[in-house]
Amino acid sequence: MPLISLKDVSKLYGFGDATTVALDEVSLDVEAGEFVAVMGPSGSGKTTLMNMIGLLDRPTHGDYILSKKSVAKLRPNQRAKLRRDRIGFVFQSFNLLPKLNVLDNVALPLMYKGIMPVRRLKRAAAVLERVGLADRQYFMPRALSGGQIQRAAIARALVNDPQIIIADEPTGNLDSTSSLVVMELLSELHRTGNTILMVTHNPELTRYADRVVYMHDGSIVHDQHTPLGEVSPLANKARQLFPRRTEEDDLAGVSAIMETFPQKTETAKKRRKSAAKPKRKTTRKAVTRAKR
Amino acid sequence: MLSGNYKTALSRVRSAKWQSLLTMFGIIVGIVSVITTVSLGEGIKRQVLQQANRLGNDLITVRPGKILSRDKNGAITKVNPALAYGFGTGSLSEQDIAVLHRQKGLKHVSPVSLLSSGPGLDGSQYNEGFTLGTDASFPEVVEQEVEFGGYFTPGEENRQVAVIGKRVAEDLFQENIPIGRTLTIRGQEFIVRGIFKEFGSTTLGQGVDLNKAVFVPRTALNNVAKDATQLVQILVRPEDPKQTAQVMTQVNNALTASHGGQQDITVLRQDENLLVANDMLRLLTTFVTSIAAISLLVGGIGIMNIMLVSVSERTHEIGIRKAIGATNRQIRNQFMAEAVVLSFVGGIVGVVLSYLVNFILRIYTNFQPVITLPVIFAAVGVSLLVGITFGTIPAIKAARKDPIEALRIGG
Ligand SMILES: Nc1ncnc2c1ncn2[C@@H]1O[C@H](COP(=O)(O)OP(=O)(O)O)[C@@H](O)[C@H]1O
Ligand SMILES: [Mg+2]
Repeated sequence: MPLISLKDVSKLYGFGDATTVALDEVSLDVEAGEFVAVMGPSGSGKTTLMNMIGLLDRPTHGDYILSKKSVAKLRPNQRAKLRRDRIGFVFQSFNLLPKLNVLDNVALPLMYKGIMPVRRLKRAAAVLERVGLADRQYFMPRALSGGQIQRAAIARALVNDPQIIIADEPTGNLDSTSSLVVMELLSELHRTGNTILMVTHNPELTRYADRVVYMHDGSIVHDQHTPLGEVSPLANKARQLFPRRTEEDDLAGVSAIMETFPQKTETAKKRRKSAAKPKRKTTRKAVTRAKR
Repeated sequence: MLSGNYKTALSRVRSAKWQSLLTMFGIIVGIVSVITTVSLGEGIKRQVLQQANRLGNDLITVRPGKILSRDKNGAITKVNPALAYGFGTGSLSEQDIAVLHRQKGLKHVSPVSLLSSGPGLDGSQYNEGFTLGTDASFPEVVEQEVEFGGYFTPGEENRQVAVIGKRVAEDLFQENIPIGRTLTIRGQEFIVRGIFKEFGSTTLGQGVDLNKAVFVPRTALNNVAKDATQLVQILVRPEDPKQTAQVMTQVNNALTASHGGQQDITVLRQDENLLVANDMLRLLTTFVTSIAAISLLVGGIGIMNIMLVSVSERTHEIGIRKAIGATNRQIRNQFMAEAVVLSFVGGIVGVVLSYLVNFILRIYTNFQPVITLPVIFAAVGVSLLVGITFGTIPAIKAARKDPIEALRIGG
């Protein structure tokens, strides 16, 4: 039984003529321990998919089964508690509350759980140590670099020991060095058993994932398992087509791929058959070494 | 959980001091006016009580005008506060004094005349002061000691001598014991021969500060300013204090009869001043309370406004908080806490300012306001209530924000 199971989930925004189909009968199973990279052009529904899985959004149609329980029709209160206990979010930007210091930011989910201040600060300090920010506990967010902010955001996502980490373009605003540090961190979480879903525009970063999902117009048009440490062949193709290395080009490249694979129904069938588990142990070393 | 909310709320108030202060202004004004009024009332009540206890309940004053109504048993039923304040004038005359002198069972009949202009000195006029003409028994009747020098005697009714209140000595003569110096009343010279001990503020009724008065023989005063003086009170003491009630009825009947049956004078027992004062205060309190209510309303709306602004400015923050697991209720509590902290701090500032106002009143006026603990608690309670009332709508608005929408808005 997969940890996450979306069954024909649709999400519509707006009414009448102004209706947008952000997700179009998407089905997706994610096993515990997978690192899924989600790619696709802007507006293809990646964020909507993440919010759906992260219980921030609820499907207009379809069902969502999380750990064997349907969560599509839960009340806001119950969803908030599931988010708090099972899911950790990392966004592209403005992750931290500017008026709280790093430690208080990281401890926030524990406050909502009702844990006493001394204990939650202790726990938050431990997680910050784990992400390498032990010496930045009392800094205000504006005094941190972009990479440090993302690491603090990851620490906050981790503080409640969630099963699932959802990262929506976590490196979208970072330079390549900071990106690598953040990706190392996510990779390590993956290694220790966390399930990770990450949206990215950078094909290079699919190295860290063991599965890559491509979206287009609210549908999953391609879904392939890739060995850790290797750039996904599709993304690679995009890179060869467009050798320049800016985020914008990555975007253009991915869009080009999408045009190459427009038959979503076929790929969906393909995806269900090819459910082989990736071998992660050998590849991991290669990845970490390459980064240092 | 809560402690965290209040901590962040407080730091928010601190980081936006001026904005917060402006927001709290209405609350502060409301709280200060409520506390000041109530403490003034409390102070006056205490003074009157003290005075009544000191003078005993057998001092009867006859005043012009119909200040109050009584039922058959002599209990006060209705008070006209406007007449109760200060010295009334009009319906008392020399004839009434004569009527009272003819009554039996009275130990003292002591008339008091008023010349409302103050004394002069070396060509300058003491405008805050006033002049009272009394007879020689006045200090004994009101049980007030002459601290320095002495009062005039029955044989000196025609002499131009004066006994002055403490303020007159300080303000006009600028010395503590100006005995032997002269002041002028209507151009005539009077020699100072005594200074009264400090008067309580209610000896002759509300709003009369006898420390600013010059006391001269009534006859002498009439000699120099006959046309300008008014008979404002007749003080009476019964021979037997136990007969006070009967004597009051007797005095009232005699005077009403001599006024042709018209009830245009009032006979008051000293302790009844308290009731009169109370009634006057009720009027004042109603007035100030409505001001306070309006300021609290304005303050509450101010808080609601700033909270609404804050909620929309912090939409992204709300999104983040919800994403990491805050329930709607927790978001609501956070914003409620902020509103309550704002109004609570306003209340505290109001209480502190009230003490300042109190202090100033004690120094510069004759009032002795008293701030009691229950008043403080009530004021703080009211400010909390305002915060809760006007914080609710913004807090509910914050709690209901859709996290998706909230996150789409940039931080
Ligand atoms: N709250 C919303 N209201 C209206 N349209 C929305 C809303 N959220 C997303 N959409 C639309 O849904 C589509 C998918 O958006 P999104 O999931 O953010 O795409 P991506 O993250 O891949 O760029 C877009 O066309 C977007 O305009
Ligand atoms: Mg997006």
